[in-house]
Amino acid sequence: MTPANFDGLMPVVIFMGLAVALFVGGHFASVLLAPKKPSHLKSTPYECGEQPVGSAWSMFNVRFYVVGLIFIIFDVESVLMFPVAAIFRELNDMGHGGYALIVFLSFISILIEGIAYCWKKGDLDWVKSFQVSTKNNK
Amino acid sequence: MNQTVVSYLSQYEFYDVLLAAFGKNEGLLAFAIYLLGGVIIVGLCATIGGLGTFAERKISADIQQRLGPNRVGPYGILQFLADGVKMMTKEDVMPFTADKMLFYLAPMLALVGVFATLAVLPFSSGLMMADLNVGIFYLIAISSLVGVSVFLGGYASNSKWSMLGGMRGASQIISYEIPVTISILAVTLLAGGMSFGTIMSHQRGLPTNWFIFHNPFAFIAGFVYFIGALAETNRAPFDLPEAESELVSGYHTEYTGMRFGFFALAEYIEVFVVCGVGAALFLGGSNLPFDISFDIIPLQLLEVVIFMSKALALYYVVIWIRWTFPRLRVDQLMAICWKYLTPIAIFNLIGCAVWVVVFNGKSIAELIFGH
Amino acid sequence: MFAQFLFISSALLTLGGAVAVLVTKNIMHSCIYLLASLIGIAGLYATLGADFVAVTQIMVYVGGVVILMLFAVMLTGGKDFVSRAQNLLGLAPSMGNRWTFSVGILVALVFLATNIKLILNVSKSIPAKTFGNEFPSTVNQIGHLLVKEHVLAFELSSVLLLGALVGAAIIARPRKQ
Repeated sequence: MTPANFDGLMPVVIFMGLAVALFVGGHFASVLLAPKKPSHLKSTPYECGEQPVGSAWSMFNVRFYVVGLIFIIFDVESVLMFPVAAIFRELNDMGHGGYALIVFLSFISILIEGIAYCWKKGDLDWVKSFQVSTKNNK
Repeated sequence: MNQTVVSYLSQYEFYDVLLAAFGKNEGLLAFAIYLLGGVIIVGLCATIGGLGTFAERKISADIQQRLGPNRVGPYGILQFLADGVKMMTKEDVMPFTADKMLFYLAPMLALVGVFATLAVLPFSSGLMMADLNVGIFYLIAISSLVGVSVFLGGYASNSKWSMLGGMRGASQIISYEIPVTISILAVTLLAGGMSFGTIMSHQRGLPTNWFIFHNPFAFIAGFVYFIGALAETNRAPFDLPEAESELVSGYHTEYTGMRFGFFALAEYIEVFVVCGVGAALFLGGSNLPFDISFDIIPLQLLEVVIFMSKALALYYVVIWIRWTFPRLRVDQLMAICWKYLTPIAIFNLIGCAVWVVVFNGKSIAELIFGH
Repeated sequence: MFAQFLFISSALLTLGGAVAVLVTKNIMHSCIYLLASLIGIAGLYATLGADFVAVTQIMVYVGGVVILMLFAVMLTGGKDFVSRAQNLLGLAPSMGNRWTFSVGILVALVFLATNIKLILNVSKSIPAKTFGNEFPSTVNQIGHLLVKEHVLAFELSSVLLLGALVGAAIIARPRKQ
């Protein structure tokens, strides 16, 4: 027995399979057609003609990580809001519009508090976050 | 139940003939139809992606008062085929410092993420491949694979330009996903459902029923979506991950030949997908401008033409913007996302929720003309 | 037929990814194997008919958590951490001594026993029945549950996320010593 909302999944899987097939096929064609004359100089990483110094895998600034963290929080919030938004109109037609609005707005207002906090504390700034935070942490 | 192209076709008589030809095996017939449709759509979108590169060069030439490509075929329209053949016959170079597995994997992930979105793209009310109940949500989720692939492409090359481009690209894509998602949330709220079928059925008829003209908040949400979508597909003025003048070519600096071609193909198809979603969510999608009580296949093909023309019009705007605005700085990019677009998007969402309750979900046109 | 195919491929992806995460010694590769495993879990949800949960899995884990992990690895430079010493029959990189490994195995056993007990109970007590008769889709069902029965949990989850956001911002903020 298959679940009721199962029948739309086959095209999804087929499209993913087509992507992989296209990748493998294109690769195969390229292997057949392309010349193959490797040399050491050709396969050095491109650095505008200079000899590359060291590896590119170096430590990166923490700000990327902060962006990722804030993103996940907002992502989860929007995931939780999606089902409620999807039935909002239905609830309104049933006469529970005011109740649904209160539930929805209180959820969003807490979200707004979060973004306002991050804004105020300078976590949303790309450049100045260091200076701002030293001032606040004294 | 999800509406699919198979369940749409099964209302016609020839479906029974086909079913008999497949020995009453419904699963096999569905597979055949999906595979055929998938190949057609992938071919169509690959052509659109290829023509996108041509259009990009031709329109930029128009804007800069040049001629652009004009040698291969009439008006140079076959240029993209020549480019494709060139890419296939180029030598495939991989830096010896690269992470080989991830170097192979990154373009494939980009292709998978983009092609998987095509499964729910609403070409017409009946002929879309699958109208999932979670359609638009699925589309946002699966296209985040592109962000991972951009990062991996940058990381695996082990070149400094690529690494910088990959980091920038991934952080830009995930940042702009927030305003885009919240704008789409506003549309979900107005339509009362996440499937493209529900969203488009609320915009039937004249352009006054389109969601972008539904209320002032939805109007702004449409623009927030479009700006965010430009940034998510790394288009100018948000093309920092591949900024030519500072990062050579960003995350695909080290990619050559066919693998670079896959990255470029995925990028151009993604622009088309994003434009198509914008057309479906805000510009009425594939709806005919008049009501028709019966439903035949040629009418569906007309709907496909309407959808394509809306999406391609948006595509033109995307290219037009690219050759008009200068590129942003990284700090400006993040400031626009987190300090302008996200608060505006949340404001729009609240506005739409209040509008639905106060005016009982009616659009401005319904309130004024009262029908 | 398709259901079996989807289930088997998702299960293989999940298990294979999980095993590869454990075995590989390159931290970037293990992030990518984890990505495969998480996509496989989404596929398993999809075979159960929980489309919203499956998409949520992709959205949060693939789109968010994996990218966050990649960024976190890049904080350290993301080089191959080929460990010098190998423990546990040379399979695992040296992440601890024999005490940490024995505690880890103990925790895994307890967790496995709890899971088996839970799953056995579920398969016994709930008869197979089809959901979604009164709702057109799982999305509507989840929405109604969130707004009606579980409205407090819905609001509290927002507070929890606010706490997570503030905590994340404070921890990640650079400090001058």
